[in-house]
Amino acid sequence: MRPVIEMLGVDTVYEGEKNATLKGVDLRIWPGDLVCVLGPNGAGKTTLLETINGILPYKMGRVTVLDEDVCTRGPKVRRQVGYMLQEHTFPESTPYLVKDVIIMGRFGRIGLFRRPNETDWNAARRAAEYMEIFHLWDRPIGKLSGGQVQKVLLARTLAKEPRILLMDEPYSNLDYRATEEISSKICELHRTRNLTTLMVIHELNHIPPDCNRIVLLKDGKILGDAPPQKMLSSSLFRHAFSEG
Amino acid sequence: MIELPAHIFLNTILGASLAALVCSLIGVFIVRMNLSSMGFCMSHAAFAGVALGLAISRDPLLMALGMSTLVALILGPVAERARLQADIILGTMFSLTMALGLFFLSIIPGSAMSSTALSILWGSVLGITDSDLMRLGGLSVFLIGVIGLFYKEFLAIMLDRKLAEESGINTRPFYYAILFLCGITVSVSLKLIGGLLIFALMVNPVSSAYQFSHNMKNIIFLAPLFGLASSVTGIIFSFQWDVPLGSSIVIMSVALFLISIVLSPKRRRG
Repeated sequence: MRPVIEMLGVDTVYEGEKNATLKGVDLRIWPGDLVCVLGPNGAGKTTLLETINGILPYKMGRVTVLDEDVCTRGPKVRRQVGYMLQEHTFPESTPYLVKDVIIMGRFGRIGLFRRPNETDWNAARRAAEYMEIFHLWDRPIGKLSGGQVQKVLLARTLAKEPRILLMDEPYSNLDYRATEEISSKICELHRTRNLTTLMVIHELNHIPPDCNRIVLLKDGKILGDAPPQKMLSSSLFRHAFSEG
Repeated sequence: MIELPAHIFLNTILGASLAALVCSLIGVFIVRMNLSSMGFCMSHAAFAGVALGLAISRDPLLMALGMSTLVALILGPVAERARLQADIILGTMFSLTMALGLFFLSIIPGSAMSSTALSILWGSVLGITDSDLMRLGGLSVFLIGVIGLFYKEFLAIMLDRKLAEESGINTRPFYYAILFLCGITVSVSLKLIGGLLIFALMVNPVSSAYQFSHNMKNIIFLAPLFGLASSVTGIIFSFQWDVPLGSSIVIMSVALFLISIVLSPKRRRG
């Protein structure tokens, strides 16, 4: 079996920065994995996801996603990888409807010079129905609550019919009910579609029951990578969240 | 009321309408992507280009195109990569292009600040020639064609560039294309509307269109209509009260914006 994501000795440096945010990261994600990435603020969790997705170019090493080099094949990789951005909000005046935001998830795979056809719209409708937001289909995106926006963004990601799902703190700023609803959808997606999922989370009670690995990041380095029970009881975990 | 030969009147109406169409169409991108400062900077770059053309006896339109393209080429990467806030870079570029424009005006042979030079600042729709009309018509077709061809990519980038990138669109060429189209539009329309007022015709019709819809697709259609309405009412106002045409069009676009705010269904309660 080949890994769906493979990072070998990866350094990511932000434009204009001297020090690398990710330092010598080695990581393999296997088909069907549900991996949670944990670490203190500034550990490089978002950078890790954006490096995998090819949005941030890396300086050293090699990142392969679905057997494609993200450095040279970034847009092609992103057409098959769903990425939910951290705390994405839309101002109230944003002149886009929910259906437009969802269908845009497919724009990359539709390709240049083509408009969304019936197949694309059906995929978008199915994603909205799956996330139970079809009743919001014609509503302006700026008028929705935080929980509804997260569901729309997840529907947008699913409309793409991704092979890998990357999620950056999908529960941030959500109330208990919205967190529960989105969490159950993520688990259901993983169980029913065997969707390889890599999610950054901040709180331990957000670790989904199906999570099979926890990757621990600190100062841009992977401190540990183990099943949840083993990781949470290890001294590495306490070390990651200790000062200094 | 001023009376004009029919062909001049027709050229004026056509020229002002086409200028309003292209300006408000490109204005949709400028307003949505918060590129207002960039559009402002580009209009002054084109102004400096025209002044340079007049100063060295070269085609002012070509010089305006060259200058605004140069600024677009500089601003795109700089705004993306600089660790300074984009507004600071734009502020510097704006003051530079304005200063260059005034400098080039001062070295125009003959009387400095001549009427030709001043027409760059204030515009002269009445002086529009058949070749100006051809250029504007060509630009309108080109602009509509490019937007139509890459409609979904532009729509996604206008929502959010990072989300568009995430969906698999390579956003950089489209972003640069928007800056380039902005430069061409400013350069070609400058003679009619003037360097000081062109920016209003990019922003005001779009701001009016925003009052009537939550849907970007409608705004893209409504904005040029508001632009056309501003132009036609501006021309009538100008001929009726003998006021400069460029400023008259801009005053009408502001009036339409104010009326739009009052009539906006977005502001009705219940």
